[in-house]
Amino acid sequence: MIRKPYLVVFSLLLAQTEPVKDIHVNPPRVWALTNAMIHTEPGDSLKDATVVIRDGRIDKVGRYIKIPLDAYEIDLEGAHIYPGFIDGWFEVKKDEKTISPDEHWNKKIKADYRAKDDLKIKEKELKALRALGLTAVHIVPEEGIFKGKSDLVILDDDFTSYKKDVAQIIEFKTTGWSDRSYPNSLLGVIAVIRQTLLDANWYQKSTQIIEKYPEQNKLIPFHPSLSQLADFQLNRKPMLFMTKEEHGALRALRIIDEFNLAPWLLGSGYEYRRLNEIVELNPFIIFPLEFPSKPKVKDPHIALQYSTEQLKHWDMAPDNINKVFEKGIRFSFTSATLKNKKEFRKNLQKIIDRGLPKSVALSALTTYPAEAMGIEKIMGKIQPGYLANLVVTDGDYFDNKSRVTSLWMNGKEYYVANRYKTVLKGNWKLEISGKSYELSFKTSDNKKESKKGNISTHKKQKLIGVIQGKDLNASVSEIEIYDSTIEFKADGSFLSLEGMLAFKGQISKDKIIGKFFDGSAQQSFKAKRETKGKDKKRTKELKSNTKLFYPEGSYGIGKDLLTPNAILIDNATIWTCGPKGILQDWDILFVNGKIDKIAPDISVPLGSALTIDGMGKHVTPGLIDCHSHSAASSINEGAQSVTAEVRIQDVLYSDDINIYRQLGGGLTTANILHGSANPIGGQNAVIKLRWGSAPDELLFKNAPQGIKFALGENVKQANWQGTGRYPQTRMGVEQVIRDAFRAAQDYRHVQKTYERNSKAKKKNIPPRIDLELEALAEILEGKRLLHCHSYRQDEIWMLTRIAEDFGFTIATFQHVLEGYKVAERLAEHGAGASTFSDWWQYKYEVIDAIPYNGTMMAKNNVLVSFNSDDAELARRMNTEAAKAIKYGGLDEIEALHFVTINPAKQLKIDKWVGSLEEEKDADFVIWDGPPLSIYSKVQETWIDGTRYWSVDENAQMEDRDKGLRESLIKKILNSTTPNTGKDIKPNSETPNHGHNCDIIDSDLFGAEFVQ
Amino acid sequence: MKKLIVALIFSIMFGNNQIPGTEQKRPILLRGGTLHTVTGDVLEEHDLLFAEGKIITIDEQIQPSPETDVLDIYGKHVIPGFIAGYTRIGLTEISAVKQTNDHSEIGEINPNVRANVAYNPDSDLIPVTRSNGVLTVNSAPTSGRVAGQSSVMYMDGWTWEDATLKHPSALNLNWPSMRFDFRKDAKKKEKEQREGYNKAIREMEFLVRDVRAYHHRKNAKERKAEHKQKSDLRLESMIPFIVFKEPIHIKANNVRQIEAAVKWSTKHDLNIVIVGGGDAWRIPEILVEKNIPVILLGVQNTPRRRFEPIHTPYKVPAILQKSGVHFCISLDPGYPMDGHVRTLPDEAMRAASWGLTKDQALRAITLSAAEILGVDERIGSLDLGKDATFFISDNEPLTQSNHPTKAFIQGKEIDLSDRQKDLWEKYKEKYRRLGKLSE
Repeated sequence: MIRKPYLVVFSLLLAQTEPVKDIHVNPPRVWALTNAMIHTEPGDSLKDATVVIRDGRIDKVGRYIKIPLDAYEIDLEGAHIYPGFIDGWFEVKKDEKTISPDEHWNKKIKADYRAKDDLKIKEKELKALRALGLTAVHIVPEEGIFKGKSDLVILDDDFTSYKKDVAQIIEFKTTGWSDRSYPNSLLGVIAVIRQTLLDANWYQKSTQIIEKYPEQNKLIPFHPSLSQLADFQLNRKPMLFMTKEEHGALRALRIIDEFNLAPWLLGSGYEYRRLNEIVELNPFIIFPLEFPSKPKVKDPHIALQYSTEQLKHWDMAPDNINKVFEKGIRFSFTSATLKNKKEFRKNLQKIIDRGLPKSVALSALTTYPAEAMGIEKIMGKIQPGYLANLVVTDGDYFDNKSRVTSLWMNGKEYYVANRYKTVLKGNWKLEISGKSYELSFKTSDNKKESKKGNISTHKKQKLIGVIQGKDLNASVSEIEIYDSTIEFKADGSFLSLEGMLAFKGQISKDKIIGKFFDGSAQQSFKAKRETKGKDKKRTKELKSNTKLFYPEGSYGIGKDLLTPNAILIDNATIWTCGPKGILQDWDILFVNGKIDKIAPDISVPLGSALTIDGMGKHVTPGLIDCHSHSAASSINEGAQSVTAEVRIQDVLYSDDINIYRQLGGGLTTANILHGSANPIGGQNAVIKLRWGSAPDELLFKNAPQGIKFALGENVKQANWQGTGRYPQTRMGVEQVIRDAFRAAQDYRHVQKTYERNSKAKKKNIPPRIDLELEALAEILEGKRLLHCHSYRQDEIWMLTRIAEDFGFTIATFQHVLEGYKVAERLAEHGAGASTFSDWWQYKYEVIDAIPYNGTMMAKNNVLVSFNSDDAELARRMNTEAAKAIKYGGLDEIEALHFVTINPAKQLKIDKWVGSLEEEKDADFVIWDGPPLSIYSKVQETWIDGTRYWSVDENAQMEDRDKGLRESLIKKILNSTTPNTGKDIKPNSETPNHGHNCDIIDSDLFGAEFVQ
Repeated sequence: MKKLIVALIFSIMFGNNQIPGTEQKRPILLRGGTLHTVTGDVLEEHDLLFAEGKIITIDEQIQPSPETDVLDIYGKHVIPGFIAGYTRIGLTEISAVKQTNDHSEIGEINPNVRANVAYNPDSDLIPVTRSNGVLTVNSAPTSGRVAGQSSVMYMDGWTWEDATLKHPSALNLNWPSMRFDFRKDAKKKEKEQREGYNKAIREMEFLVRDVRAYHHRKNAKERKAEHKQKSDLRLESMIPFIVFKEPIHIKANNVRQIEAAVKWSTKHDLNIVIVGGGDAWRIPEILVEKNIPVILLGVQNTPRRRFEPIHTPYKVPAILQKSGVHFCISLDPGYPMDGHVRTLPDEAMRAASWGLTKDQALRAITLSAAEILGVDERIGSLDLGKDATFFISDNEPLTQSNHPTKAFIQGKEIDLSDRQKDLWEKYKEKYRRLGKLSE
């Protein structure tokens, strides 16, 4: 191997530049560690080999190498030597006093902060880390959203750095409504991350232009955060996103993909649930080596608190890393989350037991992180030229019984433990004055509960011994061992002496040599080991054989969904919701996910289509809910009055069980809206309820983009106390909206002027992209549909006027409970009305709500739909529609339109869904009776020609999940592994939210993760 | 006239515009209707005679006396008024507006507060709710550990005294939460959480003992004047429930809460009703064994747990029915549900769609509710001697687009208009004037 001279070691440089404080210290720096088993790199080891260390670096390594004359030899017979291990995560708390003078306006963005500035490691923790064989840790900052930069430091006494600015750390850190500073929700956090990355790009470009043409441009002050981010982004330095569950990983990867970042994740242990999606960008993952503790299932009623996927996670989480490995992803480990660091190696053994190859485990401790951090030429292997960072153990590191005895860091040895473990257990031959006695030690069966912490089941084992004389046995007590000294007491009777004898000796591998005395005279003794005590055989943990579902948990899809090329329904009553009205005893044919034909009689070649007998059955289009908050992990970013930049599509949560429940009610499409915390909320997402798919696949691809606005009590924060946010009146609300649109006009004007002037383009800094104004400008351009939460007639009227002043049309008013008072205005403006069937009374602005609202608007030429705004109501939209018949006497065909074609038109997706017409999507529901009847039930729900729900399959899944749950609980009850690890927060209970426009992140499914 | 009505609506902000019914002066004979008696069969083409607010005769044919008003209702249905077993009607006007709320007294222990004295007979919720056939409600205080006494109220009357059918109907309790966070890193240690729960239970134990001791001392033959027990409204108000076993309604949804409440009532030999009962279907046997009824709050709910079969709440009434649990169906009050009592028949219909027969479902919002509230002598079915509290409609009782066409409470004919219908009429006029509405 050729030595690479450019690998100049940083600390040596320091050593060269730093003046000497007192007198020179020059310990010898040339060592030869001999006769050891040397694991030079993962998968490669040398028996009885030697490694030579010179000046902190590895000089030579091999079996038959010549030891340099100036090297001092240390015999390490029986020892193993590994390359120094790297811990992937260590959080450094920022010192509050250090504030960057050029801080970002948003205090949650600290991209220029360097964790090492405040690095402190407590003595105890340092000891615990070193005892694991860790010679380097990746230190990361812990505060904010963009937290700052990480370092790799050696765990020597100086915390030497060989690599700074390893990664930029980013967290989806949500704080909730108690935090008034933007952003406080997951929605807002993601928007801030995207905007800041855009800003960094713009800053970089702009500063370059300014440098060239300073006289032509407005100067931009130095911005350390943006300049750092630009560096990381443009040079593809790692951007490390912290994740708490698999959806966090998907969200991170979406951003990584959008900005072409170098993908790093702090793993959650849940990656196995969405591995196919996660593997796409092949991120480097740092895994905390911690697994869930046993769920508390002894009381069957308490066991109900755990969802089935939580029980499954207990079983499957230890296989996660191996599954990730099998997909070709590289990773590293960290002990950071472990309170008891000793669990690190136990957990390492657990995953090896379950199938992770040892060489891979070693790679994850050495070469994988070294490569990922770009230090693979100096760390991770024992090869000439590498840093002399070594782990010396008394056995195979991956056998939990072996011990780390010392570490070498920068060529200096750090003591960890004695080379020889004083193993007393077993039989010894005790020699006193030429006579032999049998001395034996064993572990007592008398296991005592540890006194610290009553709940802990940790057993303390005690050593006991006995000396067998000719006739008498003397019990050995008060056995104490420290370092290599052993002391114990024994009754002197076996030597025919009176009283107790105190023994004290030096113990080495197989010998004890020492003296004993009875209080006066001392005599010598010797003991030789005869047999070693046997350790209990460890039962190896097995890989889980539990099957993964999509999404994981109850009712998750475990097999392929039914997707025939063609489906023919014969002789059904077809509610087309199109011009053909209701067709009795007609046939309908679906081919390749589309409606192919609707006719009185369709025949297809035998076997070419799945044929469903429609006799007595009714077929309707899949139902559409124009106002839902299901399937999202965050609904409100309420820290500012205008948050047009936040997007529901960033926080879609495809695991929401309500998707499945709603499919069971015939719902196929939903408009997932931002909440009503502010006048201008966020961008909505129209989804199809494709249960089982990843979040992105829920999106209704053809649906136009939209946004949620809100008026009235919620946005003026009338029902909460102590908020001073503008606006506090409906007058102010109007002004906020007008102001936002004016700003958007200004914004577009600047952009267009710049675009038109090609000369300016070269020499002038480009206009900054502003995601908020971008969305608002799109509304003005008619490219983004506006859905507005509203109640009172005055505010409805007002917003139509604003829209007309700015030259666009409102797509829908949501709730619009006083729409009946201004139906002519709605009709004239051309806005749709998406309302409740019969809600009223809950707050002052709904005092005039009437259940005749929908019918009355419809009769006055307003396009009306009924919506749910509620996870439960969304699964009975058909009977909600029927209320338009009860209140106001609407025709039943028109009533069904309220939840099919009308919301489709409102969302501008009626080209594809909302009615059964040829060429539209094969989204349909088969009912066992008239669809508006409360006594009819859904038989099957299909989307794009795929069956997502059916009575039979639902029943099968009920049985499957019942059995699975029972077997998991049995498995937990029968598990004998010690109960360590992280406790799972029970999440099975899913309270129903009523009108949930005002829900906050912590109310939502998976909320434990977003907190 | 219409203008006058409109003017009236806006002159009275929180007071409904419907005038209470007048006392029944003449007997009324309903001729030829379909009578949904609930206790017995559905009687087609039968006559029903009621006078002085009571049902007098039900027969195939009744000869009216000359002073009897006769109403031909061939093809129409007579249905006992629906009964909502747990509401805040009369105690709230607008859930989000504090000034209009009178259901939540401050403090944990309020056994002495009485719902009926705060029942606003002019509330707009009353006409809106009775428009769907709900003619009687149990109105209950809802906050704290011991919330107070509920009252069964008629949905008509000039004063709360007029409207009171039974007071108290029950003492209302909220069972403390038993959802503990068992995690090592929980905000509060498990022990602390359990201690919090135990403390709440201990307080209840002491309360029961104090009530018994108070009752004992008050009745003791102690002559010394200075030993006389001084008055304590809280303890005194609980004597009927603790000593004389009047019903105690305990709100409990979680299976562990229900179990604990049952155990508690057995220990103290009390007469309880489980309100909520979300998990009651998991332990019907103990409810049957101890003969404890359930006021089920809502059928159209999402399952309580992610892994439960998705239609579980729809099927709960059928499970309880099959297991022999005595239950009725009501709705869970609170924001934003207080005004939603009018959808009570929807809840029953949903239950009928998922396993109950329509008869059973009808019973669950009429007679069963009356029995559980202890007013089945007066209401809940069409039987001789019971109050003439029923409505007439064109359709079967559990039909989606049903509207009562006439309704009687204690024989008084009720105004079936309401604020919402008035607004509807008002704005119809607007569109007529705009030439957009021809009717």
